Amino acid sequence: MLTPTTTRADARALDGRRARRTAETASLGWKLLLLKITVLGLLNAASVYAAMVLFFNERWLIGTLVVVTGALITWIYFQRGALPAKYLAPGVTFLLIFQVFVILYSGYVAFTNYGTGHNSTKEHAIHAIMLQTQDRVPDSPTYPLTVVERSGELAFAVTAQEGEVLVGSADAPLEAIDGALVEEGRIVDVPGHTVLSFTELMERQQELSTLAVPLDEDPNAGALRTQDGQRAYVYTSRFVYDESSDTMTNTESGETYTDGGEGAFVTESGEQLMPGWRVNVGLDNFVRAITEESIRGPLLYVTAWTFAFAFLSVASTFVLGLFLAIVFNDPRMRSRRYYRLVMILPYAFPGFLSALVWAGMMNQEFGFINSVLFGGAAIPWLSDPWLAKLSILIVNLWLGFPYMFLVCTGALQSIPEELTEAAQMDGARPFQAFRQIKFPLLLVSIAPLLISSFAFNFNNFNLVYMLTGGGPRDIEAGINVGSTDILISMVYKVAFVGAQSDYGLASAFSILIFFIVGTISVIAFRRTRALEELN
Amino acid sequence: MGESQPQRTSMSGRSFRRWFVQIGWRHLVGLAVVVFAAFPLVYVFSASLNPGGTLITANTLFGNPSLQSYVDLFNRPQQPFAAWYLNTLFIGFTASAGSVLLGALAAYAFSRMRFTGRRLGLIGIVLVQMFPQLLAMVAIFLLMLSIGEIFPAIGLNSQIGLIMVYLGGALGVNTYLMYGFFNTIPTSIDEAARIDGAGHARIFFTIILPLVSPILAVVALLSLVATLSEFVIASVLLRDPEKQTLAVGLYQFISQETSQNWSVFAAGAVLAAIIPVVLFLALQRYIVSGLVAGSVK
Amino acid sequence: MTVNTRRLTAMTAFVGAGALALTACGSGGESPGAASAEPTETADTAQTAGTAQTADAEASGSLTVWADANRAEVLADVATDFEADTGIAVEIVQQDFEEIRDQFVSQVPTGEGPDIAVGAHDWLGVLVDNGVVAPVELGDAAEDFEQIAVDAWTYEGQTYGLPYSIENIALLRNTELAPEAPADFEEMIEMGEEAGTEYPFLVGLDPNESDPYHLYPFQTSFGAPVFGTADDGSYDSTELAMGDAGGEDFATWLAEQGEAGVLNLNIDGDLAQESFNDGSAPFFLTGPWNVTAAQEAGIDVAVDPIPAAGDQPAQPFAGVQGFFLSSQSENVLAASNFLVNYVGTAEVQTALYETGGRAPALSESFEEALGEDEIVAGFGEVGAEAVPMPAIPEMGAVWDDWGASQAAIIKGDGDPVELWQKMSEDIAAAID
Repeated sequence: MLTPTTTRADARALDGRRARRTAETASLGWKLLLLKITVLGLLNAASVYAAMVLFFNERWLIGTLVVVTGALITWIYFQRGALPAKYLAPGVTFLLIFQVFVILYSGYVAFTNYGTGHNSTKEHAIHAIMLQTQDRVPDSPTYPLTVVERSGELAFAVTAQEGEVLVGSADAPLEAIDGALVEEGRIVDVPGHTVLSFTELMERQQELSTLAVPLDEDPNAGALRTQDGQRAYVYTSRFVYDESSDTMTNTESGETYTDGGEGAFVTESGEQLMPGWRVNVGLDNFVRAITEESIRGPLLYVTAWTFAFAFLSVASTFVLGLFLAIVFNDPRMRSRRYYRLVMILPYAFPGFLSALVWAGMMNQEFGFINSVLFGGAAIPWLSDPWLAKLSILIVNLWLGFPYMFLVCTGALQSIPEELTEAAQMDGARPFQAFRQIKFPLLLVSIAPLLISSFAFNFNNFNLVYMLTGGGPRDIEAGINVGSTDILISMVYKVAFVGAQSDYGLASAFSILIFFIVGTISVIAFRRTRALEELN
Repeated sequence: MGESQPQRTSMSGRSFRRWFVQIGWRHLVGLAVVVFAAFPLVYVFSASLNPGGTLITANTLFGNPSLQSYVDLFNRPQQPFAAWYLNTLFIGFTASAGSVLLGALAAYAFSRMRFTGRRLGLIGIVLVQMFPQLLAMVAIFLLMLSIGEIFPAIGLNSQIGLIMVYLGGALGVNTYLMYGFFNTIPTSIDEAARIDGAGHARIFFTIILPLVSPILAVVALLSLVATLSEFVIASVLLRDPEKQTLAVGLYQFISQETSQNWSVFAAGAVLAAIIPVVLFLALQRYIVSGLVAGSVK
Repeated sequence: MTVNTRRLTAMTAFVGAGALALTACGSGGESPGAASAEPTETADTAQTAGTAQTADAEASGSLTVWADANRAEVLADVATDFEADTGIAVEIVQQDFEEIRDQFVSQVPTGEGPDIAVGAHDWLGVLVDNGVVAPVELGDAAEDFEQIAVDAWTYEGQTYGLPYSIENIALLRNTELAPEAPADFEEMIEMGEEAGTEYPFLVGLDPNESDPYHLYPFQTSFGAPVFGTADDGSYDSTELAMGDAGGEDFATWLAEQGEAGVLNLNIDGDLAQESFNDGSAPFFLTGPWNVTAAQEAGIDVAVDPIPAAGDQPAQPFAGVQGFFLSSQSENVLAASNFLVNYVGTAEVQTALYETGGRAPALSESFEEALGEDEIVAGFGEVGAEAVPMPAIPEMGAVWDDWGASQAAIIKGDGDPVELWQKMSEDIAAAID
């Protein structure tokens, strides 16, 4: 058996034998082939089924994409050559569906006004406005109601205060009717009408919930409506929607609201009627992202701190992680596994929990750090602008060094010990040997991780938000941006205030930040020449 | 583990100094790091043994310890901790294994083959992961809703669906980590096998993969930890309490201000942390195996 | 409203981004192209295609209710009764309470939302602005509820929910350390100092954000409510009232208390709770959520009215929980029936009170609860004096400025009156 404890040279020899053996057993190949056919068959069956459902629902584009993807994958695995595609296809498929699509969709949102007040379609908005502006006529009585039907049309039968029974429908105002039967205060029979059972009511509840029966010929007197099918109340509509002119009219003030193309009904003076709906707004969000005053003021400061934070976080975690990886890489040292075990603990606990614990430990008066380590000093770890920055770096070091320790330990294994030994034999001091031989090799595999770690910290919203909330904030500035806010947390504060959210603006920012981070990373990639290695 | 014995046969001053210079100081560093790493977590552990207590206030640690919170954890009908634990194991290990496989396949292609778009692809997979995920949920929810309409078993409220979303991140910086490691395996091994008539799949699965087991172990651990601590996507996709994961469930213990229960939450976090710790213990010999390989002859 | 929790729950805004109106901009036709066309169809599919699970459910007229774990239990019983009476099944979907608001906003437009959800009244501004809630006509039943509960669920003249519980803070007193209830703030501090404990009085604050919610009763005792009052008794959010003279007095008082160490920003909610529970202070300004823990720690707790610091009554904010209807519900009739005729009954309101420990909103249950439990009675009496928390969507910005300024004043970072005026200007600008 080939075990990892074999040396490379042994492995090579062993592998030669093994390869021969595998060639001999190539007759097993038909089993693999069968497996391949089965898997691809299932995949194709699924994609054809999905496409059929999609076509049935007239979602042509998506349906076509599904079929093409299925066919493409089948082709990849059933032809000779295109070897890279065979290895890349599974991962890339998931990547495209669950990551690339997400980015494209956020990109799309950046061009809309989606957010509080512009949450859905125009149809929904009109429906909601009509619902929310039905005003119950003050001090009007409750009408005990029985819903009846006449040749398919719903009607209300109600008992007026004088005890007489009135019947009316959408087009026929309430009118007294003779001969209705009332039992225990409920109308049980109306001549010429059928009383609907509860089940029938439930089947037609959509229709019923929009039914308005005018009180009399005067439209301003209001109309009866019901919400539960048992009681009716008199309402007046504050707004009337006219479909042909696409306008909302306020019945009290007579003011007309038109669709101004910006996702809401507006008056001529610019007053908006909420809720509005989603529309495309072109580059508006990007323009706002650049001109928004609450962003522009602190932008420079926050950007500088974001870079500093991301860079220092990567540097500190990497240096500590690498140092520890080397320290614990000496085979002569005992109990290394126990040290390693404790070291990965910060990584094993949920991050939000750790941030809360640290916030408690850094409490100015009662936290462990001040009251025990500093003997009762009142160091404002989280409320001094500079100390808060330091604190956040310390906590990020704690959170991040186990990761660096792990990847450095892993990467060190790929560097043959013989190299260092040879250098040391040549008289190089251990540190020199490390710096000149191992470190460059290590950097080849680690550099992309450092870049990616930089990008992660650039957008490390969770830590900032959980530990300091971006604070402390300069109260004089009048802007809700604190001294530990990074770009992404500042964006969050601007786009999501309290319960209000502006997804369009947030998406636009996401894209801008993506461009910044992406550009830096590409440059960094070129500089490290990580890609050129071993080409 | 075939660790060689430290040279500590005689503790005379001279040899102690030598021992200290070569090895001993490492233990001092180790102790310092252990304190730094573990201290905040001692609070969590202490809180878990102090029912009704709070998380961060007690500077008096381990005052009147009790296991009640651990018992409570398993006796909450609305918060099925045991189910969460099993779900997490299932989702975590499946997603982690899947990520390692997909990532290794891609890393092998990037390392061994030359094709158009290779360099672009390498940068691309890392860049894609850099998008600020501020709004990712929007699109993921939409996507899973649509998938669920066609295949309810892998749409919303399905653990398979969640695993699929996690696999979307399989190609990324971890692939890069593996790519770097693959590059250190001499191509002569592949060639020798090919001359012997082995197919590419056989070379990859039976020859190359065992050789890169240290990095596979590291990536498996990284993916597992990432999956374990992820709660934003999981809480949106998994609706039924019986289907949720530990991270989502634990978060709920403290996100409701009026029923915050720090002690039970801490107990849950301690139990949750056992998963990555045990995995690390199990994988440690692979993670450091290269090192052993050099020392055993 | 501890700060940690506020931060935690704010995280859910991401989560809540959920659906992002899958319905996109279909009707307006402003957004051609694949990306927008596809979401539109998603919604249609949900309503028309045979593949959608919802189709079957609608035919039999079933209701979906979102509730948190505590409420879900009680509702399950009501649902059984409702189904037995009407044949309409009610599906209770358990949700994290703090997530319901954002999930509701994003999922209602997709057709995935529920018919009914449980929530807090101060969500109303956002729910209404997004057009996702429908008014609930309580009719004559409105009179059966506590006035404040119905007021709280009324937004711009419409009632949007069936209230079930009222929650507010009050003064917890350790009866061993302080046998009598204090008459005013000064007396409380005197009594606290006499008790010889570590702190005379506790309230959970945050070093950078203070806690305007917990300090509000002291603010109102100086005659500085956050907003002016409109004719119908609701808030007039166009008139920011706290910048007036009363507000400046309050600011000066805050600075004094901060300097004297009575208000200590470093004592957060958890620390305050723990200190009260181990007998380090006779008084603790907090809500009913901390009572159980105190009693379990062996403290004999009494609930007193909040002592005024100024010369007017100290009125805390009240939060009223209730059930609200989706504006896109296709089962309006069934849903209203379920709410008004089932959830609105004394039996259910009492059951909800028994699992949640908050004063019930229905007067009959309220009186009953007050009669049998001194703690609930204590909070209930303070609650009767309380004012509903403002529900306008701009409150988010108000809380931020308000808290940060209070923290600065308590810390002594500048002249209290100037800081307070600056805050008023900033808030006024933010609301416009």
